Amino acid sequence: MRKSLASASLLALLSAGGAFAQECADPVEITWSTIAGFYTDAMANFVKSFEDDNCAKVTVVNIDNSQLYNKQVIEMVGQTGAYDVVTLETAEKAEFAENGFILPMTDFFADKQELLNDVSPTLRAMTVEYKGDVWGLPYYTYTAGMFIRQDLIDDAGEQAAFKAKYGYDLADPTTWEQHRDIAEFFTRKAGETLKGEVLTKDFYGVGLMAGPFPEIQDELSAPLWGMGSDWLTAEGTVPVDDVEKVLGEYVEELKFAPPAALTVTYDGVMNQMKDCQIAMTHGFFLDQWPNAVKTEDNCPGAKVAAIEAPGKKAYVGGFLLAVSSSSAQPDMAMKFVAHIGGYEIQKQFAELGGASTLTSVLTDPAFATSERRATNGQYATLNMIFDSMSGFSSNLFKTPFGAKIYNTMQIPLQAAAAGQITVREAAEQLAADVAKICGGPCPIAN
Amino acid sequence: MSAAPESAGLAGSPPPGKSGMSDRWFSILLIAPAMLITLIFAILPLIQALDVTFRMGDLSRGKIGDYVGLTNYRIVFADNQFWQAGWVTLKFTVVAVGLEMILGVAIAFLLHGATFAKGITRSLLILPLATSAAVTGLFWRYLYDTQFGVLNWVLGLLGLPEPNWLGDYTIALWSVVLFDIWQWTPFVALIALAGLQALPKEPFEAAELDGASKWRVLTTLTFPLLKPVLFLVLVLRTIDCVRLYDAVAVLTRGGPGTATETMTFYLYRTGLKLFRMDYASTMAVFFLYVMLVAAVFALTPLLKQFTDRAKEA
Repeated sequence: MRKSLASASLLALLSAGGAFAQECADPVEITWSTIAGFYTDAMANFVKSFEDDNCAKVTVVNIDNSQLYNKQVIEMVGQTGAYDVVTLETAEKAEFAENGFILPMTDFFADKQELLNDVSPTLRAMTVEYKGDVWGLPYYTYTAGMFIRQDLIDDAGEQAAFKAKYGYDLADPTTWEQHRDIAEFFTRKAGETLKGEVLTKDFYGVGLMAGPFPEIQDELSAPLWGMGSDWLTAEGTVPVDDVEKVLGEYVEELKFAPPAALTVTYDGVMNQMKDCQIAMTHGFFLDQWPNAVKTEDNCPGAKVAAIEAPGKKAYVGGFLLAVSSSSAQPDMAMKFVAHIGGYEIQKQFAELGGASTLTSVLTDPAFATSERRATNGQYATLNMIFDSMSGFSSNLFKTPFGAKIYNTMQIPLQAAAAGQITVREAAEQLAADVAKICGGPCPIAN
Repeated sequence: MSAAPESAGLAGSPPPGKSGMSDRWFSILLIAPAMLITLIFAILPLIQALDVTFRMGDLSRGKIGDYVGLTNYRIVFADNQFWQAGWVTLKFTVVAVGLEMILGVAIAFLLHGATFAKGITRSLLILPLATSAAVTGLFWRYLYDTQFGVLNWVLGLLGLPEPNWLGDYTIALWSVVLFDIWQWTPFVALIALAGLQALPKEPFEAAELDGASKWRVLTTLTFPLLKPVLFLVLVLRTIDCVRLYDAVAVLTRGGPGTATETMTFYLYRTGLKLFRMDYASTMAVFFLYVMLVAAVFALTPLLKQFTDRAKEA
């Protein structure tokens, strides 16, 4: 009897398995084009659960970040259907939406408002919304604050020396003038002292991303937005005087940065910090916290902090997952977007050290413990930044030419940083380039 | 007996064979596949590119638009960045090719006269050529790194100034040139060496018997006989340098600013970052035109020389 029961149970189990196999014999195939690297690798681990739950087969196409935009545009223009889910930088959203490359997901999220509302309003406004529609979900954020060597700021000897030189207390900078003073103050030659210790190599006040990459404009967004300006005015033109001012201040700060500033991007600055070469960053991507905090292991006595950028404004970045209009499986693709951007996956992503986009995860007390500091120590600052920037939006993200402008603007900015042209010439060239791209003043969506 | 008609058939006017096909048509048939491939993959895209130069072509707007006459040509020719990229390309080509030719030929002469380690040196020379510029460029980027690079480390040990190889706009282009020289001088050397080894011995023996000096032998025999080979290498290297992209993309991305932005890189940026296929096609067509004119001038004497030799043979 027991034997026959066991046989029956086994048969039932096999039948159930067979039924599932039959049910999922023909999985719906979708393709996700995304950035090669840690964040995608981490996310790729979560694809399996989606495949199992939805009888889907997800192919993840890893593309180098520098080529992702070009590759996606080509596939979108050709309506090839090669990618069902695409990954967009903040500045690219309007172009893809305006040109019909991606599908609005407003209706899809109509009964999922809770999930949508869980994305910080600041992040949502910048990365998800355009012309009243919702275009997907961001899956991680590289919103900027700044990293600083808190041990240097808190050192009594350095504080006294700073006050003697500048006439005010050494503290985390709240203005860009203070940022400049601190950068200057901590720039020392080998043989001088830092925190009473003799330096064996040159030490610099600030690490800057002035290499030939788009990150220089991310850095400059912080002081530009902080002074109440923007890359594009409401009329769709570049405010030349404002750009000249912030770029001029930035170029001044280059004197206090390692010479490599003119060739590096964010990873180079992180290497400088971990190599005990710099005291702080400019506006910098806080998703790099797990990297920055390693400075404490490499530099004796170092204590790193993630703080808001001076002026409480900085680049708000998040990679948006959106559904291609040429997708043959738009319903499954939308489900996938909600899955990756949803609470369960975002929480698991956070546990791996990823910078989640959901407020519920960023404010989860489980991630605010000292044990989690090495992986999630920037969350509190991220929340502060989102609060500080509440209601803020940049015209750069509201013009359908945003992606092209974003992909071009580093050239004049970096030319000025390298001394190839003057700051004024760079600001004017940027204005001319933008006018050429837009064919006149750029259209700005309300 | 049967050989005579066949010879006549090959050399003289083509009587139709048993199949009824003349030699002329048979020749056409033989080259037809190659011509078809050229037509599909070279001529048709070129015609399309030419067509786009007269149209509005913002690809990110979804399609190639209406005809706009010569507007794209006017815009491109008035574009300072286009001419600046041309100037950068010219500087790069002249310096890189010039130095590669001098160094390559010098190395070839040294190797030609070498009595030992010739084989292994030749093998080592192939190494830089065997890897793509994208890979070796990455390697050189680390060599050039101001913080962790070997070059500046060595210079520092010697107490010499440590330049910002890729970040200083006054020297960044020459850093790319240096990389190109490292990669391509062996190519010149190996071809020149092959040319040297293929030279006929008799004229040199006669010159030696006549008591000609080494310099006279070099200027009146070696170089004139080597000229077709060197000229071919010169043309190949020039074409390669003019369309330089990969080394720039890996080492500098055209920066700092636009200091190392070559014509091809600017074309790429216009076409695949801004998606202005109209401007990019116009630049490409203009670029092709310049190259064709230059190639005709450069290759005519060489082709004439080859034709004359063939006739003599």
